[in-house]
Amino acid sequence: MKKTNSVLVIGGGIAGMQASLDLASRGMRVYLVEKTPSIGGRMAQLDKTFPTMDCSMCILAPKMVDTFRHPNITLLTYSEIMEVSGSVGNFTVKVLKKPRFVNPEKCTGCGICAQHCPVEVPNEFDMNLGVRKAIYVPFPQAAPLVYTIDEDNCLKCELCGKVCLAGAIDYDQKPELLTLNVGAIVVATGYDLFDVRKRTEYGYGKYPNVMISLEFERMESASGPTGGHIVRLSDGRVPEKIAFIQCVGSRSIKGGLPYCSSACCMYATKEAVLIREHNPKCEVYIFYNDLKVFGKGFQDFINRAEDTWGVKYVRALPGEITEDSKTGKLIVWYEDTTENAIKNLKADIVVLCPALIPKPDNKKLAKILGVELDQHGFFKSKDPMLAPIDTTVPGIFIAGYCQGPKDIPESVAQASGASGRAAESMALATVKGVRRTARK
Amino acid sequence: MDVPEVVKYAETLSNVAYAERNLYTCSSEGLRKIKDAIEKHNLNRVVVASCTPRTHEPLFRATCEEAGVNKYLFEMANIREQCSWVHSHEPEKATEKAKEIVRMAVAKARLLQPQEEPEIDVTPSALVIGGGISGLTAALCLANQGFKVHVVEKERELGGLLKKVHKLYPSMEDASAVLKRAIKAVESNKNIKILTSTVIKGVKGFIGNFDVIVQKGKQKPRTIQVGTIIVASGATSFEPIGMFGYGESKKIITQSQLEEFLKTGKLKKPKRVVMIQCVGARRPTGRTYCSRVCCMTALKNSMLIKELSPDTDIYILYRELQTYGKEYEEWHRMAQDKGIKFIKYALERPPEVTVTPDGKLSVKVHHALLDEEMTIENDLVVLSTPLIQHEDGKALSQMLKVPLGSDGFFFEAHVKLRPIDFATDGIYVCGTAHSPKDVAESIAQAYGVASRAAIPMALKRLRTEAITSSVDESLCTGCGTCVKLCPYGAIEKDEKGVAKVTAVVCKGCGVCAASCPERAITMRHFTNEQIIAQALAALGRVPA
Amino acid sequence: MKEEPRIVAFLCNWCSYAGADLAGMSRITYPPSVRPIRVMCSGRVDPGFILKALEMGADGVLVSGCHPGDCHYVDGNLKAEKRVENTKKLLGILGLEPERLRLEWISASEGTKFAQVIKDFTEQLRKIGPNPLKTKTASRIPANVDELIAETVKETNIRYCLECGKCSSSCPVAKLREGYSPRRMVEKFLLGFRDKVLSSDELWTCLTCYQCSERCPSDVKYPEFIRTCRTLANGGVLEEVCAHRGVPQALSRMMTNPKLKQNRMNWLPDNAEIAERGDLLYFVGCLPYFDVIFENLGLESMKIAQSVVKILNRAGIKPVIMPNEKCCGHDLLWTGDIEKFEELAKINVADIKETGATRVVLACPEGYRTFKKDYTEVIGNMDFEVLHISELLSELIQKGKLKFDGKLAKKVVYHDPCRLGRHMGVYDPPRSVISSIPGVELVEMGRNRENAECCGVNAWLACGKCSKEIQLDRLMEAKNTGADLLVTTCPKCQIHWQCVMTEKVPNETEKVGMEVRDLTVLVAEALNLK
Repeated sequence: MKKTNSVLVIGGGIAGMQASLDLASRGMRVYLVEKTPSIGGRMAQLDKTFPTMDCSMCILAPKMVDTFRHPNITLLTYSEIMEVSGSVGNFTVKVLKKPRFVNPEKCTGCGICAQHCPVEVPNEFDMNLGVRKAIYVPFPQAAPLVYTIDEDNCLKCELCGKVCLAGAIDYDQKPELLTLNVGAIVVATGYDLFDVRKRTEYGYGKYPNVMISLEFERMESASGPTGGHIVRLSDGRVPEKIAFIQCVGSRSIKGGLPYCSSACCMYATKEAVLIREHNPKCEVYIFYNDLKVFGKGFQDFINRAEDTWGVKYVRALPGEITEDSKTGKLIVWYEDTTENAIKNLKADIVVLCPALIPKPDNKKLAKILGVELDQHGFFKSKDPMLAPIDTTVPGIFIAGYCQGPKDIPESVAQASGASGRAAESMALATVKGVRRTARK
Repeated sequence: MDVPEVVKYAETLSNVAYAERNLYTCSSEGLRKIKDAIEKHNLNRVVVASCTPRTHEPLFRATCEEAGVNKYLFEMANIREQCSWVHSHEPEKATEKAKEIVRMAVAKARLLQPQEEPEIDVTPSALVIGGGISGLTAALCLANQGFKVHVVEKERELGGLLKKVHKLYPSMEDASAVLKRAIKAVESNKNIKILTSTVIKGVKGFIGNFDVIVQKGKQKPRTIQVGTIIVASGATSFEPIGMFGYGESKKIITQSQLEEFLKTGKLKKPKRVVMIQCVGARRPTGRTYCSRVCCMTALKNSMLIKELSPDTDIYILYRELQTYGKEYEEWHRMAQDKGIKFIKYALERPPEVTVTPDGKLSVKVHHALLDEEMTIENDLVVLSTPLIQHEDGKALSQMLKVPLGSDGFFFEAHVKLRPIDFATDGIYVCGTAHSPKDVAESIAQAYGVASRAAIPMALKRLRTEAITSSVDESLCTGCGTCVKLCPYGAIEKDEKGVAKVTAVVCKGCGVCAASCPERAITMRHFTNEQIIAQALAALGRVPA
Repeated sequence: MKEEPRIVAFLCNWCSYAGADLAGMSRITYPPSVRPIRVMCSGRVDPGFILKALEMGADGVLVSGCHPGDCHYVDGNLKAEKRVENTKKLLGILGLEPERLRLEWISASEGTKFAQVIKDFTEQLRKIGPNPLKTKTASRIPANVDELIAETVKETNIRYCLECGKCSSSCPVAKLREGYSPRRMVEKFLLGFRDKVLSSDELWTCLTCYQCSERCPSDVKYPEFIRTCRTLANGGVLEEVCAHRGVPQALSRMMTNPKLKQNRMNWLPDNAEIAERGDLLYFVGCLPYFDVIFENLGLESMKIAQSVVKILNRAGIKPVIMPNEKCCGHDLLWTGDIEKFEELAKINVADIKETGATRVVLACPEGYRTFKKDYTEVIGNMDFEVLHISELLSELIQKGKLKFDGKLAKKVVYHDPCRLGRHMGVYDPPRSVISSIPGVELVEMGRNRENAECCGVNAWLACGKCSKEIQLDRLMEAKNTGADLLVTTCPKCQIHWQCVMTEKVPNETEKVGMEVRDLTVLVAEALNLK
């Protein structure tokens, strides 16, 4: 049997990077395939992280740079998995490198091309609150720091090619199909957000000042579209009252998903504290059902938010939001369940915390890998209690949110776990040429 | 803060051959610029004035190395966290301060010397402290990769907390069956040596070379040499003595005791059960944390009681229901389906348990969401208490020289990005020793530490810190002050009676250098001269 | 006749009762058929009493007061006259002999007249025959209470309630009525405070509009839960909480009697083409009764039925209309009278089967839901398809069977009735019908589709200040769209809005006038159907 010391990691978020670094640090070769032009994942979009209030990019960037520079990690960004065959110890993987139309060897990341590009499109990284050009990097600390041409929106005016001083633009770049041979695969594809337009009672899309949490996160990030200033999207005014609504689409038998997304109570608290830090005059209310305080340091964080920062927690999920057309304020209707009274709160901004859902692309990837998805669309663990990191296919492991709802420390620990399992199963698979299946 | 002005100022300092301004120095582009500048201007010292060195120092150091400059010839000036971010109301003063900080960094940089990081061998074997499901999982994972593992367990039998558990949710598999399989796998693996009834008596050494003194029963203690240590010592259950009538009646029990009854089949079919959550947990002071698994345990045990006795009425009095994750909310629904009633109570108005003289139980609870007082007569009260650190946990933490958090559990290196490492290299933590968690989370962490521990063991050699101290033998008088003060026991008197530092054990704290009456100890990279130069630069004085 | 006919007589204190006394003092004999009830004024008698007496088996009802001009309370007797006239019309439609109800003017000195009236009335009743109705008076709480509760708990998902409060804060009633909380009702029921729930006022205030269920993450079907609670409370015999004195419910109950043959076809236009057997059946519903009961609102409910028939004829369809069609039973079901509801269901389905119809179309969303959803639960597979008129019209327009010649230059705002919208998910067919009328501009209210605000009353329950506020709110919202017409497909919505616009609502600051029209009437107008 061919002995290979390589592992494929699918997904370049914090889980994917951790798994890659663990494996690469012990001398194994890692292929890290990431669909978007840069690694970093969701953490790159966050301003701070709970419960420590660390600057997300500050703790992420070293990992990104380590991943990018590690001699044992081959970074394949803007690439997708097309085909997988074989079994543990000996998988053959076909990866499609999509053309960026920019030569990574030559690009210096100077950005002159983007300055001259005439096309502006909504910036997905900023949750469409800002714009980017058709030739772009997703965010300034991107790794690799190589510009990419968004083929769908490019006008083909070829202006970028003319202004690039390094001669890095290559309009003839073709997709490349690579074939890799790996011993194990780690899947860490992360999560998406529930479409809150389905909950018409909250008026997202109808009222400009109803936002979803990730949009709000981008707005309050210093590197975001408003430079960190929290303002009403309708008229740019500074808000006096902000309301967070938890569980939009979570814990729902109908009109959403049945599980608890497990991170929202905490990240809403984080965003609330940031608002209070930024603007102590702004009142913040968090409407919740059950506060999820199960993690290390969570309860203390919420206590601080309440006692030190004056964040107000209201035990109620609002029924509907209407708009006061004269002032543009949003009227949030709720039942104060501890007082048995219907009340309303007039807020300037309402932030909806949507359910965090498995990426729709998981379906396609699962088929390619031959693994099963559970009823929600997460990758299915071989045994939810005893083998959470294993999938139904030996040699393929899962880590991070794509396995199920969890926060960053758990994703990191699980990613290390996946690399441990990957190394273990490869070691077992090469013993005496007999394939041993993963430990039960 | 006026960055260009600071740059201009930097150019005026002597020995500064080149100064440049960058927006994101830590990005690939910024690093490239550093390398280019080193080459172009033939630099042999580099100062980066930006954020805190705690984040990016290793990155910049590595960049210098790549450009041919020894990484210890690099210094950072923190003009962000400690300047611009805290003086945003006084930009002019901030700029002045930034200039001075840069001046200080340059003053030190002038005196920096290149340092080497000695390489050490790594013993490719691991010590796993604790033979519960976490310890067993980690041990097996490492053993299957070819590493030798010692599992030390203080009880007579392996198994830890799971020994007391009846069934595991959501599969409702027998915990004992799971344990049996794990123990069998571990016992039959020839790379694993198991020592039960064994305690840790002392730990010396450093990553790659730990000397662990263990004692089995009353036997003579012996030393095991390992390269890495995994703390999987687990946790224990809090006993709610004096709370909610615990101790006043045989019918007021803890969730663990209920588990025991269910396991041994000794539970008499109760007519009505009241479970009280958060007993001794989530307090305003003291034990402030949530023990994570109690809500699910209560749900699981309720379902088991219902299986035994479908007519039993069950009330769960909770504060916040922790049904997180993929499956737990579904269990909540199943419990609701079976008619199990959930009543929320507020911290300020806890339930009252009364035992009548003839032994009948009654629980009075204020339903927080109905604003109504309810009295529930019942024949079994189950108190859900948190997991807490073992009594000997503190002693273990002191032996390993790793910290405990305010919640009593082991405290990791970094909450977000290094959740299963300790700050001390070579020691890792997993399972409930880290914080309360369920079996799946423990197993995931166990595989995680196996992966982390495998890194140094797989590489077989490791580069260690260069920032250590050394003794100038000619000046040492053998007073022994430094030996007494070193927290790591890195200094010893040699045959000549002169102090000698074991560089690889030294963590670079500098206490020795500060205490030596003869100034015989040099702290590399933080020499007396360098520190004084920084102070003088801060005050605008030129060093002598 | 073996038994003596029984007459319940409402006699006014000042005249008729005195007159009866005089007959007694004068020793004038008359048959022992009358059971007198003294009221201060004949104007005190409301149709609910009359129907109740008849429903419970009185062979005849006599209402007697002072001669016009002599009424002790000015003109109470004239009001009584109007009411009796009205009630007679209802009886006529119902198929119960209107002669069973008699109005007389008997003064205090007319002892002889009183005796004569009784003699005549008794003879007349002997000839007419005994009252076929004799509904049992005992409350209709079902025997299998535990089974019913268990079934309801399972089907309505109340156990999954997370107590989040979304329901209460979505409820139009809760916003206006302090202390009303669907969530607390459910929780109390689950915790064993059943009696509190069943004896509460709140049990009857729910509009069953489904706004709460629509948004509930645990899919709790609160209206169905309330419905069962109402059954448990007292089997649905509840005039005290019903508006219009429980008359509609009484009529529905009376219709279950097989001996009554209704006269309900007079509204048919002369040139209407209908059939007794056929493929498509048009189920008219309670419109003929509404016409009488709500005469004062100037509604012309029958215009809806007439429009439907005309439109269908234009499309080349001869609908089957059953001459003895019974009430669908919706109002009985939602006030908790499951027993009578099931009776009606069985009768209607059997009658429809006789006609051979494979499709049944209703112009009333309540009937539509009742047939499509609730009947299926009682009967099972019904062998015919159930359509709402908007679905059928949409189909006909698409197939080209209905063509609009001219333009109808109107701005129309459409209101989604609860039963059609949230209950059954039918949002688009009415809109597509309206949009296909040339010249019509369709606008939407902010609260539309699944967020449409209920018209404020359900099954005639708990109509009060709260309902009026809700109705005015909705009418104001419609008005603010600038539309000329507020179009809906529910006759009940129309009645309620018309009512609030006609009556003087206390504390009203501005009158909201909005022209309301039924979809069918609009379409008929657009098709130039006379």
